[in-house]
Amino acid sequence: MTGLFEEYSEIIPDFFLFQESLQRPIPTHLRINRMLIEPASLIHLLEKKGIQLIQSSRRYDTLYLAPELTSPGNLLEYFLGYIHPQALTSSIAALALAPKDSSYLLDMCAAPGGKSSHCAQLMNNTGLIVSNDLYASRHISLGHTLSRLGVLNAVVTGYQAQEFPLKQRFDYVLADVPCSCEGKFRKTRDTSSYRENKGKEKLPDLQKKIILRGFDLLQENGQMLYSTCTYNPEENESVVNVLLKERDAELLPIDVGFDFEPGITEWKDNKYDKQLKNAVRFYPHRTDSVGFFMARIGRRR
Amino acid sequence: MAGEDDRSHLFSYIENRFGIPETLFDDYLLFNTKRSWVLLKKSLHIETASHLKVSKVGLRAFQRVGNFVKPTTRFIQTFGRFASKAKLQINMVQLRTLLEGGEIPVDLKLDNGYVVLAASANRVLGLGFLINGKIRSQLPKKEIRSAMLNMASNKTIVSQNQHKEDSSC
Repeated sequence: MTGLFEEYSEIIPDFFLFQESLQRPIPTHLRINRMLIEPASLIHLLEKKGIQLIQSSRRYDTLYLAPELTSPGNLLEYFLGYIHPQALTSSIAALALAPKDSSYLLDMCAAPGGKSSHCAQLMNNTGLIVSNDLYASRHISLGHTLSRLGVLNAVVTGYQAQEFPLKQRFDYVLADVPCSCEGKFRKTRDTSSYRENKGKEKLPDLQKKIILRGFDLLQENGQMLYSTCTYNPEENESVVNVLLKERDAELLPIDVGFDFEPGITEWKDNKYDKQLKNAVRFYPHRTDSVGFFMARIGRRR
Repeated sequence: MAGEDDRSHLFSYIENRFGIPETLFDDYLLFNTKRSWVLLKKSLHIETASHLKVSKVGLRAFQRVGNFVKPTTRFIQTFGRFASKAKLQINMVQLRTLLEGGEIPVDLKLDNGYVVLAASANRVLGLGFLINGKIRSQLPKKEIRSAMLNMASNKTIVSQNQHKEDSSC
């Protein structure tokens, strides 16, 4: 484990604790799907099966840690659409965007549908969600998630995110872009989804195109959330910095009640806009889940 | 979009058979494809989105099976809690019997046809089919794994054949 992510030792506080946290398995977190069941009823059902749930935050009664549960997909409640296994930090993305009822939302890179379905839940299944994902093969898992969770306000499209048609404007845009997935390292060390350096150089170009297109798709008072599950500043602050330079965008504060570090304003020889302090970085030694980066974006007034 | 005839036919069937009020669907649009009908919540934004090339709309609610129309499991799981008739509460042993291809004898004063199967009043599993006093499963066998029927502690559940769920980050 020594040497892992060493290049980030200057920007990740308590770096030793961070490295240590990567050696622990990622805990199982569940989101309760309020569209189909009330949290208290679900907790009661699982307690009867001997499954203990610990609320992840007092502020949200739908997010729980299931310390001893390793395979939530094997619960009948999963089939019934009452729960969705989702990394805690992934759940925070929709909470940070906080879409209102009856709004129009675009999820630019939506598969496998965790965040789209969470947005539907926050919107009380009203308004309209366009859940977009380029790859038709990923529409299967996306469609399955949306159906299983009883989402009634979504359509699925298959555009390249960076070329999504500009004919309409959205109240909310969620850009959870393809990334190097460094933040998932703990749970994916034995799989190929951690890309290490493979293709990492190409990602920021794509991410910049997506964030610019996402912003252009926002209506006047709209809000966008840019997120990745990587620690790499080239895919995070650097990408948002391009948006701040090229568009009338501003970064809005994120208040979700979980431990995070602010975005960075310097990396290697690069200096970023001071507003990047409003972005948030989730580290596994602070919030025991997948490492995440989020920036909430609005139009400058 | 599905025609008024389709709409009236499908939702009046749902009301007559299960007692789910037809008015519950006033807030939804119904679209039809070759073999199925999908439900989408009405929204002012649908017209704006209408020029997008979509691959999936809303929730698949009904599908054509031969000459019949069958409500989907997901539709019933979503709206079945509003059912006031043709609803049968079953236990885990009966559920296992159904999933293994067996039948459950019942004494229901009902015409042959679909029945909402529930694990408790509001915990709707899906559909069964009543024929000559016996219920047959219409539940998606592939989606209900044996581990799901185990009501013991989570430790037992974990030790079963584990399913890799589509969790997301």
